[in-house]
Amino acid sequence: MKRMLFIMTYSFIVLGIYAFGKTQETEQLSVALNTQYSKSISDASQKLGELEESVKKSLLFEDEKSSAKEREDVWRLSSDIKASIGALPVNESFSTSWMNYLGRLGNYAKESTEQGNKDDYYAVMKRASDNLDELSSEWQVATSDLLSGDMTMQHWENKLGSNVENEGNWGKMGASIKQYGEAVFPLTASESDAQKKKELRNIKDQKITEDEAIERFKKLLPEVSNDVIAAEKSRKGAPYPFYHIRFSENSSIGYIDITQKGGHILSYLVERRMGKPTKSFEELKKMAAVFLDKADYKDVVLEESRENDVAWHFVFVRVNPDNNAKVFSDPIHIKMAKDNGEVLGMDTSEYIRKETLKPQPIRDVNWKEFFRTGVKVMEEELAYVENKQLEQRLAHYLTVVSNDKKPETYKIVVDTDTLEVIKTEKQ
Amino acid sequence: MKRVAVRFLFLLIAGVMVLSLFVIQTEAFSARDLAKGAKGDDVIELQARLQYIGFYHGEIDGNFGYGTYWALRNFQEQYGMPVDGIVGKNVKKKLQGISDYDEKYVKGQIAKGNQFTYYGGQPLEAQVKKGSKPQKQMQTPAKYSDQDIKLLANAVYGEARGEPYEGQVAVAAVILNRIEHADFPDTVGGVIFQPGAFTAVSDGQIWLTPNERAKEAVIDAINGWDPSENAIYYFNPITATSKWIWSRPQIKKIGLHIFCN
Repeated sequence: MKRMLFIMTYSFIVLGIYAFGKTQETEQLSVALNTQYSKSISDASQKLGELEESVKKSLLFEDEKSSAKEREDVWRLSSDIKASIGALPVNESFSTSWMNYLGRLGNYAKESTEQGNKDDYYAVMKRASDNLDELSSEWQVATSDLLSGDMTMQHWENKLGSNVENEGNWGKMGASIKQYGEAVFPLTASESDAQKKKELRNIKDQKITEDEAIERFKKLLPEVSNDVIAAEKSRKGAPYPFYHIRFSENSSIGYIDITQKGGHILSYLVERRMGKPTKSFEELKKMAAVFLDKADYKDVVLEESRENDVAWHFVFVRVNPDNNAKVFSDPIHIKMAKDNGEVLGMDTSEYIRKETLKPQPIRDVNWKEFFRTGVKVMEEELAYVENKQLEQRLAHYLTVVSNDKKPETYKIVVDTDTLEVIKTEKQ
Repeated sequence: MKRVAVRFLFLLIAGVMVLSLFVIQTEAFSARDLAKGAKGDDVIELQARLQYIGFYHGEIDGNFGYGTYWALRNFQEQYGMPVDGIVGKNVKKKLQGISDYDEKYVKGQIAKGNQFTYYGGQPLEAQVKKGSKPQKQMQTPAKYSDQDIKLLANAVYGEARGEPYEGQVAVAAVILNRIEHADFPDTVGGVIFQPGAFTAVSDGQIWLTPNERAKEAVIDAINGWDPSENAIYYFNPITATSKWIWSRPQIKKIGLHIFCN
């Protein structure tokens, strides 16, 4: 009995110390979280005020050079608020609309400075200024009691609306921001084209049946297509209808997605146990090219190869026959097994969107004058690349090496007509 | 006579030892050809040998990138070989003939995570600085760092480890789709740690150690595969509590997850 009492007392003390420690730890975490969220709220509130002010200030000047600093501030503050909102457990509907609005506002301010469309700027930003005025008041109301007292994670969730209780208020605010965004910053023609392409609205081919889709799969990949486990149509919300076919063959298991319109392959991927590598890079490169040719993808060339533990990933891109320019927005990704050269995956979803290419003048450039002394242009090709306005531009696609002690390689894309540098990417 | 026999035996043993060293040295490269995009021990040896003779000045990390490619082409040009940037039998033979490769030193430094070089004619001790930035472990598109890949693999494992492979690639693809989407933060960390965005972050399962399957799924997603067909959300219909998520247009179901826009 005495021993029992001792064990119980001892256990009780140990449990008490453990519980005390845990409570302390939870409290410390709660304080840390509270501090972090309070900081994000206070930053967002302060910067929202500054953003509203910068937009108004930028509307004071006739000459866009005089408002350059304010426009730069609009862009910077939009990004800052985006980061603060991204760090809060705020209602999803509100956060996505708000992020979108801020992104569009910032980009518009930045691009209008570059493009100098003065009149458009005043018309658009006047409306944005009015929206921000209203949003600022709503934000103050919604966050008024957030900076007082300690709050637990549960409290923050309740207050910021990721909890059901407050979903209504924040959701409403999200809906009004969405409306403002659509009215003030509607999709540009290029954005709308890009959206259409992404949703495969430009494919006008005849619909195929599920059986025809399976047949297409069997013809393309006879080694893995004998045992189709299931084939089903995409769900109603899919922007483009497709068949989702799952299969299993020996140790291989995978899927293939095929569009309903035209029976185009979207993507294919297989998983299986891998053996020791036996195929060389050259062999696999050749096998990938032969496979694509047989599958009727005849207008592509190899652009990039990357080796990983079990496979090589190759990127092929379409070539425009008129000028031999590579079209980077129309790639085909293919994954080749290092053990036996089997095609483990293929993704042609971007290739089947096919960009519309416009003719464009090519101006001569003296690269020695274009770059600083010592910078070497190692390779020069032509390529179609999407610019910031989402337009396909013909460009000089350069591989350049810097003049440093440890030379670095860059891919630089220069518009053939305007000579604007569209992209600089360190390799 | 006995002394001559002993001397002969000694010379024979020494000769065999030297020969065996030579054999080991020449057979260090494997039989496969190497080209830009390759990775592995062969590439480590290639970089080390090119650095030993002063052609390569970058990190010895086993990834055949542009730095290695230009160094190789310069080497081929200087030694009158076809300049194609590919390491075949002749290039290997030439390199082995004129350079040295201390595999123990090179791989030892890589394993310790030290910053080091391997120039010939310089004492090795003077070429090591302890501690360095982590080296790139995989061949990935330039815009993703190893840190991004690690975070993505943690997220995939935490969110979808019981799902089919396709479902794991789809989860990684959703994260990448969000980065490109105007409604979300534009970094891997920003998207993954956006409060409330992923259950694995909320319940701490993101810190479990991911397995090879999750890592492979991430590699496929960053190499261009998107089994989610451009989805930016997914949810488990059995456990989802938000009414809002049910209002999103649904694209397809993979395993237990419904992927939507």
